[in-house]
Amino acid sequence: MTAVAVPSGQAAIRWRRWLVRHGWTVGVWVLLVGLIAWYSTLIPRFGNFTMASIAKNSLPTAYLAIAQAVVVIAGGLDLGVGGMMVLANATSALLMEGEGFGMTLLIAAAVIGGAALANGIVGWVIVTSRVPDIVVTLATLFIFSGIGLMVLPSPGGGTSGGFRRIFTGSSSGVGTNYWPSLVALAVPLALVAAWLARSRRGLSLYAAGSHPIAAYLSGVDTRRAKITAYAISGALAALAGLAVTAITANGDARFNNAANGTLNSVAAVVLGGIALTGGVGSVIGAVAAGVILFVLNPILTALGINPNTSQVIQGLVIVGVMAMAGLLELRRRRTE
Amino acid sequence: MTTDTVPTAVALEEGPPVRSAWMRFVSDRPLVVLSIVLVVLVLVTGAIEPNYLSLRGLRNTLLLAAPLGVMAAGQTLLMLTRGIDLSVAMVATAAAYVTGNRSPSGAAIAIVLGLVVGALAGAANGVGVGIFRVNPLIMTLAMAGILLGLFTQWAQTILQGSTSVAPFIRTLGGGSFFDNRIPWNVLVWAGVAFVVIWGLRATGLGRMLYAVGDNPVAARLAGVRSWQVLLVAYTISGLFAAVGGILLAGQAGAVDLRLAQNFLLPSVAAAVIGGTSIFGGVGTYSGTIFGALILSVLNSMLTFLDAGQAVKQVVYGSIVLVLAWFYAAVTRAE
Repeated sequence: MTAVAVPSGQAAIRWRRWLVRHGWTVGVWVLLVGLIAWYSTLIPRFGNFTMASIAKNSLPTAYLAIAQAVVVIAGGLDLGVGGMMVLANATSALLMEGEGFGMTLLIAAAVIGGAALANGIVGWVIVTSRVPDIVVTLATLFIFSGIGLMVLPSPGGGTSGGFRRIFTGSSSGVGTNYWPSLVALAVPLALVAAWLARSRRGLSLYAAGSHPIAAYLSGVDTRRAKITAYAISGALAALAGLAVTAITANGDARFNNAANGTLNSVAAVVLGGIALTGGVGSVIGAVAAGVILFVLNPILTALGINPNTSQVIQGLVIVGVMAMAGLLELRRRRTE
Repeated sequence: MTTDTVPTAVALEEGPPVRSAWMRFVSDRPLVVLSIVLVVLVLVTGAIEPNYLSLRGLRNTLLLAAPLGVMAAGQTLLMLTRGIDLSVAMVATAAAYVTGNRSPSGAAIAIVLGLVVGALAGAANGVGVGIFRVNPLIMTLAMAGILLGLFTQWAQTILQGSTSVAPFIRTLGGGSFFDNRIPWNVLVWAGVAFVVIWGLRATGLGRMLYAVGDNPVAARLAGVRSWQVLLVAYTISGLFAAVGGILLAGQAGAVDLRLAQNFLLPSVAAAVIGGTSIFGGVGTYSGTIFGALILSVLNSMLTFLDAGQAVKQVVYGSIVLVLAWFYAAVTRAE
């Protein structure tokens, strides 16, 4: 492209600027690829089956990462994503049991639409009441997962084979074809990423997140930006719940699932380079971080570490990365 | 925006802030409103279950309120500093587990070890938040995960054996005196309440907690070493969580790894209902005490109505939402 014609000095500047802007995202993806490569040397047979397993099982965390990322970029924080995931999982598994493929698709669309509406209302409550995001969404975490538990008091339900194929590549949920899972992740990711980076409304999320007052004074409807962010977050959290239904053919509304989902989504966003203060970062990094959080599990298992220790290690990794980021920030501020 | 085009009209309309007498009353005396809410709830519960309006019925509410109130004390202190502790339930469980496990060597040693576990976990949170500037939400959520992993493993290895607590702890957490009317754990709660209320009002640390939360930059410029304040605050919160956990273990008579899991949202809710702001610098422990009492009465009511955990989750969540909205509306009117 034109980079060839530009003098080398300018190219270097442009390159450096690109690296500063996207360095963290690139780093996270490199880390993910590295981890998967390492994992392939750890187990005796790394083939399509393993790839398919990673691709489908990391879907829920990856969707939740996008859901959280959109809200955090807009300057909020949605602790309710895990609750919404559990609610969507319970509702869809209950309704889809014994239905045909067409009907399950309709139910899935209704669940996503309903979740977007419900979480949009949450966003409206936040901007209208001016109650901190954390308080409102901590409440919705409990409300949504509670409703999920009312809908489906004990694990159960089911779905159609065709619906399982969309997310897992196989009507039995276990197979060697990983492409459908990758597509199921790439399509929403590409849509959200393009919308955030290119559309007027998408950019308004960044504006509202980085400096709400400045954004408001320059004519950005910050209220609408935040409500939109929450609605999208709800839809993606519901998608995570539908993915769980497709992978497990089961609904499970226990509160621990909701809490873990929320924790992973916040961790993925932070590791993915999105500042919790809002306005900075990209969903693409967050998705990679979400997949990393999932991939750590099989890697630690392959290393012969039991699941409880791997939970400890995951926690330490999250805190460690955050602490390092904090120290770097402190040093940067001192040297400036 | 249409309002931007006619600024003068808006300015004229707004004038001096008009507040109804009722709103002013509410924002000046939040405790009066909270006690009215509490009395109404008690009466409604009494209408559902007449036996509730007896000392025995109220005893059950107090029995539940004490551990919740103690855990919410730590939550209140941290919220004053703009922090939050999402690991209280797990820290309480961990401390109680150690206490249960060491109970054969005597109640005193068991309790001390439990408290040490709580303080250590809290201090670790404090190091993360105060020194390494990790976001409190992430630090404490990760701490909860770490503790759960460690203790699930340790329950089968180094902490194998006793899961029932010593008789003294059982009396402390579940017994009562005065003809079986007043639970012992209320005395522990009263002690904690005295220390917290007095500490926040009369000690330098108390004032610094408010200062750090109200305006961190101003506090730093005034010479407050905020990392020390945060370290102490998180350690105290861990300690209170441990006290709450040990009381719960005494009530249950035995420990398991799900002992305190239902106390996380209520502990935050008690502080929020009591008027403590998650943005820091605003709040009192006396408000939180009312919050804990209100939630406990509500819990009794839901139990009488045969509501399951699912309904409780929804009701607690909704109460937090409604009251937080109410507070935001009242304080904005000022």
